[in-house]
Amino acid sequence: MPPAPHPSADDPLDVRIAELLADDQFHGHPLRDLLEALIERMSQQLTRLERITTISDRYQAGAREQMRHISRRYDLQIRKLEKAIRISDRYQAMLADLNKALQEASTHDQLTGLPNRRLMADRLLQEDHRTQRDGSTYSLLAIDVDRFKSINDRYGHDVGDQVLVALGRALRKGLRDYDACARWGGEEFLTLLAGADLSTAQLVAQRLLDAVRGLRVELPEAVVEPRVSIGVAEHRPGETYTDVYRRADDALLVAKQSGRDRFLLAREPGSDGSPPVQALC
Amino acid sequence: MTQTPGHGAAGADLVLAPSQSTPSVMADWRAGKLEMQGESYPENTYEIFDGIISWVQTFLELTDRALRVELQLSYLNTSSIRAMIDIFDRLERAAHDGRDISVLWLYDSRNPRSAELGEEFKEDYTFDFEILAIPD
Repeated sequence: MPPAPHPSADDPLDVRIAELLADDQFHGHPLRDLLEALIERMSQQLTRLERITTISDRYQAGAREQMRHISRRYDLQIRKLEKAIRISDRYQAMLADLNKALQEASTHDQLTGLPNRRLMADRLLQEDHRTQRDGSTYSLLAIDVDRFKSINDRYGHDVGDQVLVALGRALRKGLRDYDACARWGGEEFLTLLAGADLSTAQLVAQRLLDAVRGLRVELPEAVVEPRVSIGVAEHRPGETYTDVYRRADDALLVAKQSGRDRFLLAREPGSDGSPPVQALC
Repeated sequence: MTQTPGHGAAGADLVLAPSQSTPSVMADWRAGKLEMQGESYPENTYEIFDGIISWVQTFLELTDRALRVELQLSYLNTSSIRAMIDIFDRLERAAHDGRDISVLWLYDSRNPRSAELGEEFKEDYTFDFEILAIPD
């Protein structure tokens, strides 16, 4: 915008002053010369002010343009980052799922879906700590499939696997939620009965034995009726789970030797020298 | 990690062997093809992506040939994702200028979430971006 001429022909005050300056009757009056000089100076100042304003406006327009440019780039960067974050979140969710699957795979038996030996050992260690802390007890049931090798030999490993799956399901079904049943080895299961003394464990062993006796694995041309033997031991003060397991396993061995399809309780060796296990089919 | 000398130079291939935290990279100048495969979560993303980005940039500047990008990336950390978006943005600009650009996102069919990741990358781009399950 070009600066308006000073003094302005539109401004009543400017017009009036111009008329007075032009009036002959004031010629030679000292105030008239001063007024003329003052008006001249004001005009110069106004012109300078206009120039400064124009330059300043230009700077402001430049700054505004730059701001728009930066803002556009900023929006672009933000969009890019948001996209990266969105994708990153997806990758993380994927990893979390994978982690869960690996966790499950590393702690559970693939065939039966039961806890594996590693998870069970952890759980048993916790149980040992608990008995130390609050003096509670627990019992272990070492369960082994009778004549499993002959099932495998006769019907093949696929059928052997089916038998293990069916057994795992039957054992799990016969337990309380806070008990644990793991696949401890090839055809061996280990059951932890939390808080159970030997007499409670005996009832559970009988129940599991009965459940297995009712089990039928139906094949196209045959029916397999698996049986198990069970060794039962209760934790004694000062023992670790490996000690308890060893006694349960000893009892299991005697159960096997004395005819299978039965359970046996590991008890204190009697002072009369009677064997440390007692058959209770 | 092996690296051909003078990567990013005109006419040179860029070949990086995979490491535990970086993908394998095969940039074939003559064929106009960039392949990346594996996982990417290096401590310093620039170490690997600077070379790749500069190869892509050089190829786009010095030739007018088509560029085909084949990706099979099972895991990327956030910095690697940013670098990939950076590469895609360059491809988008080139495609906008009329260059023949195509991206093939390969994923393991056992992991359908990886297809969703491809879709997420693809969003906003106008060049040919195909998402395909790897045949077993």
